[in-house]
Amino acid sequence: MATLQIEKLTKTFPPHSKDGRPVRAIQDISFAMSGQVFVSLVGPSGCGKSTLLNIVSGVDSPSTGTVTVTQDGKKARLGYVFQDSRLLPWRTVMQNMLYVSDLPEEEGRANASKYLEMVGLGHAHDMYPGQLSGGMQQRVGIARAFSVSPDLLLMDEPFSHLDAITARSLREELQVMWNATKKTVLFVTHDVMEAVQLSNRIITLAHGGTVFDDTTIELPFPRKASDPEFAAQQAEILGRFETMELERTAAKG
Amino acid sequence: MGWAAFFGIWAFVSAVILDEFTLPGPLKVWNEILEIVRGGSWADDFLISISKTFMGFMIALIVGVPVGYMMGRAGYWKAFFHDGVVGAGSIPGIVYAIIALVIFGIGFQGPILAVGLISMPFIALNVAEGLEGVDRDLLSMSTAFGRSDRQALRHILIPSIMPFAFAGVRLSFAIAWKVEALTEVFGSSNGVGFQIRFAFQGFSIAGVLAWTLMFIALLLLIERGLAIVERWLFRWRTWEQAA
Ligand SMILES: Nc1ncnc2c1ncn2[C@@H]1O[C@H](COP(=O)(O)OP(=O)(O)OP(=O)(O)O)[C@@H](O)[C@H]1O
Ligand SMILES: [Mg+2]
Repeated sequence: MATLQIEKLTKTFPPHSKDGRPVRAIQDISFAMSGQVFVSLVGPSGCGKSTLLNIVSGVDSPSTGTVTVTQDGKKARLGYVFQDSRLLPWRTVMQNMLYVSDLPEEEGRANASKYLEMVGLGHAHDMYPGQLSGGMQQRVGIARAFSVSPDLLLMDEPFSHLDAITARSLREELQVMWNATKKTVLFVTHDVMEAVQLSNRIITLAHGGTVFDDTTIELPFPRKASDPEFAAQQAEILGRFETMELERTAAKG
Repeated sequence: MGWAAFFGIWAFVSAVILDEFTLPGPLKVWNEILEIVRGGSWADDFLISISKTFMGFMIALIVGVPVGYMMGRAGYWKAFFHDGVVGAGSIPGIVYAIIALVIFGIGFQGPILAVGLISMPFIALNVAEGLEGVDRDLLSMSTAFGRSDRQALRHILIPSIMPFAFAGVRLSFAIAWKVEALTEVFGSSNGVGFQIRFAFQGFSIAGVLAWTLMFIALLLLIERGLAIVERWLFRWRTWEQAA
């Protein structure tokens, strides 16, 4: 079972300009998650969501505090779906999949094929990323992340660059894939509806990088936006957003 | 079409404005070329010139790639090498030819050194530029998926630099090839440049032009070859531009 534990995490970046102040991207974040959960992280732009994922994935390091990701006590394997697809433009779809694979060549290919099939790109093995539409590239990014059999899957606004229709169908695919694999997922989004549709738990971050709210969502899957309970959940979370904004303006004024 | 116009003007200038001794016509030069080709040893001269260019180029790569790498990776080294490399790139080829001649006199090392010196800055600057343009997001993707530095070097850094390095090679090759011949004109006892001087000393303008034309033809041929290799190597780019 994968466990992510974040304790008293802070992150400060050096000033953007010479005589500017250091940027405090994350002020104080602590939470833990483990097992077969789909956790969404929502919050306003610039509140440190991407920074948090980068620290969890080891791309960046914490200023203070600790982040541990374990799988039954061992170091966990990670998958990461980025906001942009981040494919190597000079490698074909299959070669991009193989780049992250640690399996022997033949097995790696079979494994990659399986996940490409799952996202509906079984025919695109030999195409270059430049030959694919944005939505198809994002699908490859998703297949790539699932293909490493991650213990913890990180997703940073994976659908935000896509049109509503493509985003919707990818969201459904993601739901199916998650049901089939039951990964531990940490999913960043701006979109409260998306969060309510996909997750068991929603953590809201506030400006300046603190945890504002942490809610469990009990609705059964698959969730339909037309369901009144869905709408109620969504309204409740949005209500908390408003409270957060009000508190912020009050604190300022 | 361009060629027809070129030969037409050449024939006209040769026959009407100047005379056959100052500027021999295309036909005379063509016969001279046939003569040289029939003589048989022309291939040796070209081979010698090409291998000297090639060796000089190797030296330029061996020095230029690491220098460019350091310039692209670290601000300190960029500042350290920048003026030197840009300055070296602005020196006319003839200066290198003279330097090489002064150091080595008449011999095969001179042209090699001159080629090395003239090509190095181009290669270094292009490699540096390529490295600075490396997509950091791809590198963080690589880290996030637990790839090693070596894998990132091979699959991200090198492919990012390649188009720039190749452009550097193509550009500097044309220049290197000219400097090589120039150096041979002054200080060599074989090669195309030497043959041009030899013809000149024998007052054979037709010979000079014949060798020069053959030289140009080879340069064009190699250019075409490089262009084909480039298109194949970077076939993924056609898609990128289309998208
Ligand atoms: N590499 C960096 N260097 C300096 N500052 C950074 C860096 N990365 C992020 N920041 C700053 O940290 C803050 C949080 O950025 P982050 O990208 O984590 O926000 P976010 O919550 O992901 O926003 P969005 O929803 O717009 O993606 C911002 O103020 C940003 O300017
Ligand atoms: Mg972000």
